[in-house]
Amino acid sequence: MKNKIIKKKETRNNLEETIRNQTDELKSKTGQIKRGVDREKIAQEQILIRTKAMESTTDGIFIIDATKPGFPLIYTNPSFQSLIGYSKNEIIGKNYFLIYGSDADSRVVEEIKQTMSRGESFHGEMLNFRKSGKKFWSSLRITPVRDTKGETTHYVGIQTDTTLMKQRNLEIEEQREELLHVTRVGKLAEFVSSLAHEISQPLTAILAYAQAAQRLLKDKEPKVYEILQYIINDDQRAAEVIRRLRYLLKKSKPAFEPLDINVLINDTVTLIMPHIASRNKVIKFELDTTLPQIMGDRIQLQQVLLNLISNSLEAMEASSDSLELMIRTSRKDSDMIMVEVKDSGSGIAAENMQKLFVHFFTSKPDGLGMGLSISRSIVEAHGGRLEAENNSDRGANFYFTLPIKIKNSQ
Amino acid sequence: MNNVIVYVVDDDPSICRAVALLLKSNGFRVETFTQAEDFLSFKHSKAPSCLILDIRLPHINGFALQEIMAERGISIPIIFITGHGDIPMSVKAMKAGAVDFLPKPFTEKKLLDAMTLAISKSKVQNKKQIEITKIRDRIKTLSPRELEVFNFVAQGMLNKQIASKRGTSLQTIKVHRGRVMQKMQAKTVTELIHFAQKAGLTPLS
Repeated sequence: MKNKIIKKKETRNNLEETIRNQTDELKSKTGQIKRGVDREKIAQEQILIRTKAMESTTDGIFIIDATKPGFPLIYTNPSFQSLIGYSKNEIIGKNYFLIYGSDADSRVVEEIKQTMSRGESFHGEMLNFRKSGKKFWSSLRITPVRDTKGETTHYVGIQTDTTLMKQRNLEIEEQREELLHVTRVGKLAEFVSSLAHEISQPLTAILAYAQAAQRLLKDKEPKVYEILQYIINDDQRAAEVIRRLRYLLKKSKPAFEPLDINVLINDTVTLIMPHIASRNKVIKFELDTTLPQIMGDRIQLQQVLLNLISNSLEAMEASSDSLELMIRTSRKDSDMIMVEVKDSGSGIAAENMQKLFVHFFTSKPDGLGMGLSISRSIVEAHGGRLEAENNSDRGANFYFTLPIKIKNSQ
Repeated sequence: MNNVIVYVVDDDPSICRAVALLLKSNGFRVETFTQAEDFLSFKHSKAPSCLILDIRLPHINGFALQEIMAERGISIPIIFITGHGDIPMSVKAMKAGAVDFLPKPFTEKKLLDAMTLAISKSKVQNKKQIEITKIRDRIKTLSPRELEVFNFVAQGMLNKQIASKRGTSLQTIKVHRGRVMQKMQAKTVTELIHFAQKAGLTPLS
């Protein structure tokens, strides 16, 4: 009897235990479900944000299904559609490579396919064609998306229009080329002109000596008189060669136009920026933005600026602690503006100061000695002066003046 | 030709020597200088002369010398010579009154042709100078009253006008005027006015 009672009690206890356990389990399940619902909600929010982000970015984004043959597009964002000029309906489900059209560079397309088939990322710049046939340059990056087993399931691509950047770079390159060409021609012309002058001096003396001798010997020494005539003839032949050479390399007349010197400086510095950056130098500007316009030849003045800046950079080459190049513009007086190119380099040796602007004078092992003399003649042709001095602390300062454009003239 | 003197300014001594030899063999008197300053400090002859001038010179270049000469009243005709013969430069030189512009090297004939022109210009200038000196000398003989009348006449005023301006009789003015004509050795009033212009007489205001 006592056992029976004990047994009953046990059974009841067990029953209660079971119920308790089941209740706990139920509670935890309910909690799990509730958490699951929360997680899903968060996940959905995240997907929404990511989709929105992809739809709003200005870069073109597309997704290709890698599991199906023919690289079908399964997603494209609006930026991609406007980039290539097709609507969503026209391209979803279509082969990605078909949108390149037949004009695309087949080698690049082949390279992209190869890279994708190896399961690698492709990154490159290429020429594309819109639906309308209009060309555009773009930067393209295609990356494989893998599942947990490492199998490529999708490719995601990002494409950006780089046409404007490319055009700008091309323009800068063209301007740089033009400037270099003009500089080379200018140097040659200046060289020939100097040479012609140097040679015409002795030719003048020879001619006068020979003609004086002819006058003294006339009727006395017919044979010597004849020889002197040969000397005179050959002297004039040499003079004719020089005359023709000079004519050939005649400097073209400068094309004067109203210019903003600060804009010109900015343009010129843009041209040689890669040069400056690669040398670890810094250009500082102190430009007076209230300066009036000047009348000048754009290319010629750029030549002067380029020459002064590259001279300064060379002067700072030697010492690693000279970093700074300063370009300053200011109003000199009521008629003139002033441009200064100030470096922190080695400065000008006292014995070179006088000879700086002389033709063929150079302190550089590979220099021609033309740069500064050409620069000075350009500035003088503009009605200004180009001078140089050493700074009180370190380096040199090359400065030139230019007359202000007078209103109602020209 | 014997009394003509030719100045040569060129910084190249060999050109100076060669041109001097050439001109001396043609019978000219020649003075050479390798810089403008030396030419300026030289005592220039009163004889007919011309200057053969290089453009590129140290310190004072040819154009600057041309200006200085004009300022100082040195009226020697200039023939420019240059090894940088370009047209804008020659235009500038001719506008400033140069006789000719010869690119180097130049022949004897070209140089002599230019010099003939320069020397005849120099002679005309000298003649003018002599005439001016003569007129000025005659002006010095005028009394203050006569000089006054001379000035009025030079301005084209009639006897009547002069008389009313001076507050004297017409007769007195006529007498003064007759004496001016006589002292100035002028045959007509027109000639008298020419004399006044040549002498650079400033009109009374």
